[in-house]
Amino acid sequence: MPFNSYPYLVFIIVVVLVFLFLEERLPWAKRAFLLLVSYGFYAWWRADFILLVVGSTIVNYAVGGEITRRHALSRPTRALLVAGLVFNLGLIGLFKYAGLFVMSADGLLGLDYPIPHLFLPLAISFFTFEQISYLVDAADGKAKRYSFLDYALFVSYFPHLIAGPIVRYNDLIPQFSSSRTREERDRDLSLGVTLFTLGLAKKTLIAESLAPFSDVVFAAARQGLAVSAVDAWLGTLFFAFQIYFDFSAYTDMALGSSCMLGIRLPFNFNSPYKAASIIDFWRRWHVSLSAFLRDYLYFALGGNRKGPALRYINLMITMLLGGLWHGANWTFMIWGGLHGLYLCVNHAWHAATENVRWPRLLRPFGHPAAVLITFAATTLAWVVFRAQNFSSALIMLKGLVGLGGATSFVSFTPLAALALVALFAIVWFAPNSMEMTWAFHPALDPPKGYTKVRAIRWLAWRPSRLSATVIGLIGIAAVLALSNLSPFIYFQF
Amino acid sequence: MSAKHYLAWFLSVVATALVALVAFNAYCEYVIFSDPNGASVETVSGFERVLKPAWLDSIAPQMVFVGSSRIREGFDPVLIDAAFHVKSFDYGVSSITPYEARRFLEDTLAHPSVRTVVMALDAFAGGNDAQKIGPGFDELRLAVTADGRPTPRRALWLFTTRYLSGGAAGMHALALYDLMQLGPGQTATDRPDLFEAYSRMTAASMRLDLAFRGERVMRLSRSAHEEFKAALADLCPRADVRAYLFFPPDNGAVIERYLANDRAGLLAFKQTVLEDVVRHNAVCPNQIALFDFMTRNAITEAPMPNGVSETYLDLVHFRPPVGVVLLKRMLGEAGPGTELVAPASLH
Repeated sequence: MPFNSYPYLVFIIVVVLVFLFLEERLPWAKRAFLLLVSYGFYAWWRADFILLVVGSTIVNYAVGGEITRRHALSRPTRALLVAGLVFNLGLIGLFKYAGLFVMSADGLLGLDYPIPHLFLPLAISFFTFEQISYLVDAADGKAKRYSFLDYALFVSYFPHLIAGPIVRYNDLIPQFSSSRTREERDRDLSLGVTLFTLGLAKKTLIAESLAPFSDVVFAAARQGLAVSAVDAWLGTLFFAFQIYFDFSAYTDMALGSSCMLGIRLPFNFNSPYKAASIIDFWRRWHVSLSAFLRDYLYFALGGNRKGPALRYINLMITMLLGGLWHGANWTFMIWGGLHGLYLCVNHAWHAATENVRWPRLLRPFGHPAAVLITFAATTLAWVVFRAQNFSSALIMLKGLVGLGGATSFVSFTPLAALALVALFAIVWFAPNSMEMTWAFHPALDPPKGYTKVRAIRWLAWRPSRLSATVIGLIGIAAVLALSNLSPFIYFQF
Repeated sequence: MSAKHYLAWFLSVVATALVALVAFNAYCEYVIFSDPNGASVETVSGFERVLKPAWLDSIAPQMVFVGSSRIREGFDPVLIDAAFHVKSFDYGVSSITPYEARRFLEDTLAHPSVRTVVMALDAFAGGNDAQKIGPGFDELRLAVTADGRPTPRRALWLFTTRYLSGGAAGMHALALYDLMQLGPGQTATDRPDLFEAYSRMTAASMRLDLAFRGERVMRLSRSAHEEFKAALADLCPRADVRAYLFFPPDNGAVIERYLANDRAGLLAFKQTVLEDVVRHNAVCPNQIALFDFMTRNAITEAPMPNGVSETYLDLVHFRPPVGVVLLKRMLGEAGPGTELVAPASLH
């Protein structure tokens, strides 16, 4: 059930109303209720795959529990951890990557193995990663023993289930049992509906309006048509903005839904196009994923502890696998590889210019130039991310440098130019929804070492008649546009 | 302001707006369905993609015209119903893709009242994946699953589509405006300024349109052919439905362009469709009549007295009176065009 659908609007209203009743009258039942509705939320998509979620939860809970028990008795846990990882990676490998690997092996080695066409269970990438973090922490002795109800709810809690943020058990589970005063409840509800409405509006009024322009150009490239420079640039830029607003919208809606229930999800999105470096970009874009990759993959590989050469290798491995996590297509891996390369260059640049004092005259231009270069690099990488295959990515890249054809799928009208100016103004200069609402704690704090959120005064949200009217009208406009929608981009991961 | 009051104010604003919206849409729907000229708004361009699936459900027609804007402009149910004594529905939408054409046909066949389907084949000529509809199409336009089965949410979908969608508000506003502008005794025919389907092509607009459409081709891509075959498969078991497919009568000037740009493509399109239909009729309980109006005939070569066409509003969109002529021909009367029954009948 996508957040941007009428059924979800009905669902969230009913869930919040029943939850409020239970919170007031039967607080012991609220976790069971949330678990039930979370399974219902997932089953709405495909009921039979709920067995996969439940099965995966039971296995991981049992393995994690046994690891915790053994750790407490100072007995070895490595074999169990490996078994747990094999189970989880096997699951995701089977459902998500088996087809890609077999097809690639067939192509490379001239084999003729039948390509498995398994139905990809929704959210498998998310609930698998979340449970891996639990197992690894259990093996490190960091995980507490929680009840099965709490653990199952941590895995399936509907606001984060389908497309994140990637949650950690120790961030979420303690909140399930917490209680709140009426004032806190009212504040959570106000904040939640505001965030949700802003997210819905970003999705329906902005992201979806941009999609047709980028879709038509990338689809032409997929067909092998050489696209013109104008088409390639407009298609690429519109996609860069589409995915920005799509993901920002999803995050706001997930956080808003959860806020209404009094539970804060991890911070996940912080104006990534304001980043002045690729390192900064990854501290702002899909924060929960990059923190997961850092903590459970990059650090596990040794991080930067074994010298610069290994640091770069570790970065590349982390980003390549992080890219592949996004989907069963080698283009995602290349996208991750590009970002890995960018990060290596970024770190090397830092190391090389650490002691350089830039001329005073150049200093004012440093930050804008860095933001521009970072935007250009990430936008270029989006081409590979969005393209269906390498040949269409190549067609788009050729188009970008003026070696394409003479197509004109998207006209560079004054309206398009105005839209681009407005979009740049929003992503570079406007405060984001977290900054606007940060005084009311809409999310958990950013992970250690990540870009801090600064609460703003200008355009800061606070309960008032004016803000209620404006947000209400924005909400109506967003609902009216619901009939033109497609799912969130991150739902496919 | 307290958070509680904020919430109350927010909900009041949303509730008031929603009630106003539902009331407006319900009123418009009442006016459209009760006005004798109401069905003419099915020829109006606007938000038809959103609303027509819901209208189809409400109207429960016996005869449905499926296709692109050629269908939308060319078949006015007010004229059709009067001439043929049926309840008809115009399911034409702008720039239809082959995927949509197949899905809209499936949607039509899912309605038990439907006995006749008329479909223009240019819907399958836009086989450019660049225009393919995104993955939300099935769910959001028709409330069906990826394999075409209605979802359990259809009732909710019907309600939200008719009363809470921007498409409904836009289409209803357009339709209401057009109907309110009609004077006493007037029909859509009298107001081509409102009902564009009834406007007339002039020599000047023809020249402009020819420049605009000069590069067009009419061919069946592989993916479009797959959609066409899927559409035939949907029709196959339906002995209770009579289907009429036709190559629309685009103006002779533009047919010349198709031939100049890709003669082989056009001929292969017709040949392929004909072979598929002959095969279909040989094995399926459902029977299809196939007509080719995309030839030199009295419609496509119609003269333009004083530079004004009574046949077309532009080079590819024929006017509703021509739609009546086409339907008469397909239902058995003599007239322009050719019925394609065997490979030999294609020239």
